[in-house]
Amino acid sequence: MNAEPIIDARGVRTHFGGVEVLRGVDLAVGRGEVLAIVGASGSGKTTLLRAFNYLTPFTHGEVHIAGHRLKPGMSERADAGLLRRVRTRVGMVFQHFHLFPHLTALRNVTEAPQRVLGLASAHAQARAHALLERVGLAAHVHAYPQTLSGGQQQRVAIARALAMEPDVLLLDEPTSALDPRLVGEVLAVIADLAAGGQTMVIVTHEIAFARRVAHRVVVFDAGLIVECGTPAEVLERPRMAATRSLLAMD
Amino acid sequence: MTRRLLCVFTRALALVALTCTLTRAADDGLAGMRARGTLRWGGDIQGGEPYAFQDPHDSSRLLGFEVEIADALARRLGVRAEFVQNDWSTLIPSLERGDFDVVMNGLEVTAARRQRVAFSRPYYAFSETLVVRRDETSLHSLDDLHGRRAGTLAGSFGFDLLRATAGVEVVLYEGVEEPYIDLEQRRLDAVVLDNIIADRYGLVRPTLQAGGTVGEGTYAIAVRPRDRALLLAVDAALAGMIRDGELRTILTRWSLWNERQEQLTASLPPTSEHTPAATPSPAQGLLFLRAAGFTVLISTLAMGLAVAGGLLLSVARRYGGTVLRIAATTYIEIFRGTPVLLQLYVLYYGLAPLLTLSAFTAAVVGLGMNYAAYEAELYRAGLQAVPIGQTEAALSLGMSRSLALRRIVLPQALRIALPGIANDFIALLKDSSLVSVITVVELTKQMTITAVDVRSWVWPGLLCAGLYLALSYPLSRLARRLERRLLPVPV
Repeated sequence: MNAEPIIDARGVRTHFGGVEVLRGVDLAVGRGEVLAIVGASGSGKTTLLRAFNYLTPFTHGEVHIAGHRLKPGMSERADAGLLRRVRTRVGMVFQHFHLFPHLTALRNVTEAPQRVLGLASAHAQARAHALLERVGLAAHVHAYPQTLSGGQQQRVAIARALAMEPDVLLLDEPTSALDPRLVGEVLAVIADLAAGGQTMVIVTHEIAFARRVAHRVVVFDAGLIVECGTPAEVLERPRMAATRSLLAMD
Repeated sequence: MTRRLLCVFTRALALVALTCTLTRAADDGLAGMRARGTLRWGGDIQGGEPYAFQDPHDSSRLLGFEVEIADALARRLGVRAEFVQNDWSTLIPSLERGDFDVVMNGLEVTAARRQRVAFSRPYYAFSETLVVRRDETSLHSLDDLHGRRAGTLAGSFGFDLLRATAGVEVVLYEGVEEPYIDLEQRRLDAVVLDNIIADRYGLVRPTLQAGGTVGEGTYAIAVRPRDRALLLAVDAALAGMIRDGELRTILTRWSLWNERQEQLTASLPPTSEHTPAATPSPAQGLLFLRAAGFTVLISTLAMGLAVAGGLLLSVARRYGGTVLRIAATTYIEIFRGTPVLLQLYVLYYGLAPLLTLSAFTAAVVGLGMNYAAYEAELYRAGLQAVPIGQTEAALSLGMSRSLALRRIVLPQALRIALPGIANDFIALLKDSSLVSVITVVELTKQMTITAVDVRSWVWPGLLCAGLYLALSYPLSRLARRLERRLLPVPV
């Protein structure tokens, strides 16, 4: 692991209306690290993840990410250039995939490299074919998203994010919207990425998966990090009540 | 279901047929008029002063020399005169339908009209005045108009004259002011209309002058041919008005008395006029096709403009700053909230002093600007229907907001809007008939012109309807095909 963290969040706070969703979060993620964030629903995990690429703005604190600094009060219009530079380096995978329904799997993957990075069409296509093959979808490159299963769609979404060759990949509950039968194929792809050294932050409810794949596990409760350590420390010898109740549910 | 519909339809048809029969039976000319106690006379107050027009100080009252003649006639026939408003170009069909007993509204006696209606003795002798701009010195007769654009009223004597002249491009109007406005704006080289109109609406303009007199004729009262008794009674009453000088008094009061009227009233039998014959020809089918082509051309260009404008407006309204948003909303409310007919008038005639558009350009721009407002709302609904996650996914890949809009959100929004767009195109195809008010001869206008020529609304009407269907049906098929192709999976 590199000494310089790829993400360094300090004192991040935000609220929706009168409710404080993040109440002062400090978190650093090193290069090459796989970090799992677990916690009860509504504890603020997803909000923190979305604060990392500023899809959800925060009101206090700061986030250093991929060599840039995000701060409260930025806007999509006024800070468009900075946000674009951050997001070009930070990939995101959504719970509900959000594939572009009017484009084939291949075009979903080539669109941003071509239009944002300026890759030549042939180059972008070669990269997309390789990635789709890596996630096991070589046979479906010309399929439209609606014709694919949820698991297949999520794997296209992972390939789409990877095509930008991001410094860090943010995954927001990537298997929560899936039929239980399809969870395994997606987790296998993520485990493969972890083995390949891809830096990742994964918000997940799959405790067993976190234990197996993550270098470090962070437990969230009511907008705060309550426990942090290796899977062995946190998941085998939990110190906090919140962690224990989470493990009891698993 | 279909059978029930068919049944309802058949009954409705039978009812209409019955009503028609009843109307015809009750419609026994003179007797009917006496029984009612009113002489119903048809005219168009849009023809304006001095024929029959609304009193500017009391809109419930009519003024005009024809109003006074009608009152005098009715008095002599022992009844009351009752005016019935009707578009000038359809006065004769309405007379045949029985909407009124007689027509008196500057109706020139022509051979074509004589085949459909019976005319009384004339009550006014007019001359046909060629009006040109003051800087124009070479136009004095109809033959001088070769290769030029000349305006007149649809279905008028002037139209017959111009049509019988070789090489003239004829432009048709519904109102009496508009041809002279266009002459001043150089959209026309000359206007050929009755001297009453020319004197009051054309020659009062300082930039215009009379180029010459190109024909003469008479106004008479039109009666259905089978109402012989009514015709005789009207003729007798008119003769009485001429003998005791009442007609002269009325015409003098309206400054219409001149030598021509002296001669007219001196020779009692109706004079024979210069009347070019209407020539129904097989070439009329070609005219229809040409007009249909114009309808397609105008609709397509206007739709292109509407789609582009609608896109800009909807994006401005959804993503723009405060100023842009308010501007777009104002535009949409104004263009959606006022009649397209009014917008066409304002664009073509109202703005003429500032901006001289050709009729064709004005038609395309007018329809396009109007439909842009509707398209904008359609696309806005489409934009709103695209999930926010699509924008977030695009932004998270480093796309700029405009790139995300162009490549990800708009294509999906347009797909959602596509059925509505096809609908609007079909509606526009039919609304394009409105541009006839600014002198463009498209399909519907061609139909009314031909109907007057061939003295029947049946086959021109059917042909016109058939052509519209032939245009719109493939369009709706195409829309369905596109929808299927653009949505990869039928939902």
